[in-house]
Amino acid sequence: MKQVASVISRNEEVIPGIFQTWLKAPELAKGARPGQFVMVRCGKDTVLRRPLSVHRLDGDKLALLFQVKGKGTKWLSHCQKGDKLDVFGLMGNGFKIAPRVKNLLLVAGGIGIAPLYYLAESALSAGKRVTLLLGAATAKQMYPVSLLPSGLEPVLATEDGSAGHKGMVTDLLPEYATSADQIFACGPLPMLRYMAIGQKKLGIKDKPSQISLEMRMGCGVGVCYGCTIRTKNGLKQVCKDGPVFSLDEVIWDDFIRC
Amino acid sequence: MAINLKVQLAPKNKRGLLLTNPVMTASGTFGYGMEYEHLFDIQKLGAIVCKGTTFEPREGNPQPRIVETASGMLNSIGWQNIGVEALIREKAPVWAKWQVPVIVNIAGKTVEEYGQLAARLDGVPGISGIEVNISCPNVKAGGVEFGADARSAAKVTAVVRKATALPVIMKLTPTTSDIVGIAKAVAEAGADVVCLINTLKGMAIDVKTRRPVLGNVFGGLSGPAIKPVALAMVYQVADAVDIPIIGCGGIATATDALEFIMAGATAVEIGTANFWNPRATLDILEGIEKFLRKEKIKDIRKLIGIARLKS
Repeated sequence: MKQVASVISRNEEVIPGIFQTWLKAPELAKGARPGQFVMVRCGKDTVLRRPLSVHRLDGDKLALLFQVKGKGTKWLSHCQKGDKLDVFGLMGNGFKIAPRVKNLLLVAGGIGIAPLYYLAESALSAGKRVTLLLGAATAKQMYPVSLLPSGLEPVLATEDGSAGHKGMVTDLLPEYATSADQIFACGPLPMLRYMAIGQKKLGIKDKPSQISLEMRMGCGVGVCYGCTIRTKNGLKQVCKDGPVFSLDEVIWDDFIRC
Repeated sequence: MAINLKVQLAPKNKRGLLLTNPVMTASGTFGYGMEYEHLFDIQKLGAIVCKGTTFEPREGNPQPRIVETASGMLNSIGWQNIGVEALIREKAPVWAKWQVPVIVNIAGKTVEEYGQLAARLDGVPGISGIEVNISCPNVKAGGVEFGADARSAAKVTAVVRKATALPVIMKLTPTTSDIVGIAKAVAEAGADVVCLINTLKGMAIDVKTRRPVLGNVFGGLSGPAIKPVALAMVYQVADAVDIPIIGCGGIATATDALEFIMAGATAVEIGTANFWNPRATLDILEGIEKFLRKEKIKDIRKLIGIARLKS
């Protein structure tokens, strides 16, 4: 883990409210695994760093993808090429693709595409077949299909039906899970919880599934216990022991209110 | 110019608590020390105060547990920790090999439990002192209820004092109208050091969900927002007690730390700043040294309480 003064090489609004920030950070780009994240200092007016997934990787550059939600992400969205960014990382365990699997199914709800993009790229370059179920509220809020890695098979869902299937992205699971050997998901907590409690109905009960959790974090290194969750294997810190967990492991009833 | 940064936190205690410099970590923001070992040389620090430790392991409070606020943050961790036995088994043997003294922060549900914890830690190699948390706003039983008035604060102090020969630091809550009275009471009851201050009780509401943000509703406010409050309390207490004071609350820079020392603190604890700057403690230590050099002050002790106006 290193605290690095990276340099922003590009910062653009991919779709309204969602930004992609490319950083030159050789110390971090080297050895970054899909599913890992960094803690970003978003200006002097913030006290807590913002945990953001490694979205893409290109040589010594690394991209973050984030939605503007509050003070920190707003500050980050205003950063420009050449600006320095204080980044602390890499954190977390990352996704694990089982060695012999051929077909991966990725489920992204909204900004949940952030860590799955890099996972898809890695899997594709390792010769796996990757299908991505990509969900958003409306077509306008959908991550642009044109930007997805080539070779990926995207299937879209929107809540208002303006693109692809009308409904939730998880509605697509029964159809696409059949041919999947392993499932990877990232999205809002209610989406992940729905997948966990509806495993049988969604046809994913016997499919090994990994999910990446988004949680408020303080330190990023496992000392503050701000991101602790209960799992079937005891208490876990999302920053240190996660953010990737097996779908079955998490005690989802704890997140009814979250 | 040779500069002395050494401070003695427990001059009246037989074992003493000599720090190579006044920069310490605040409990709950630095784990057990090991977590930061690979980031910088933690042996350079004055002391490390570990995560609050209870008799039995505790799961802590429901999520969400933290939220950022203006110039600060709220936390309601709720004493999640591995328990005193695991601490003695797994952490203390590592600390015993360190140069930097480690102080164990303890928290009890009852007065007796504080005594039992102190007795259990007494004589364990690797432990240089005990910091008694009678000021946590995040638990139902224990914590702040013992620290809110002078009588109960003194009672806990006396029980801990009796149970251990280790230097005893009483960490006090700012949620009181009588900080001076409480500090005096714990000093009389045998405390070697007082630490001021723990977090202030606060809350945040999510206007979209119309619910409190924190799972535990209330949390403890920390960070730069509380620095002036902490500084005023250190200044007030420094006039009233003759035991050393540790200043704590929103310290993020060497200037902040120097303000506390000039108000009367012998050492400082750095908490929330560790989260945005994992090297905050070391940066502050280097900054203090630089200041002394620039101002041609040979001994940090010359600055302790220097800002206090004679009454």
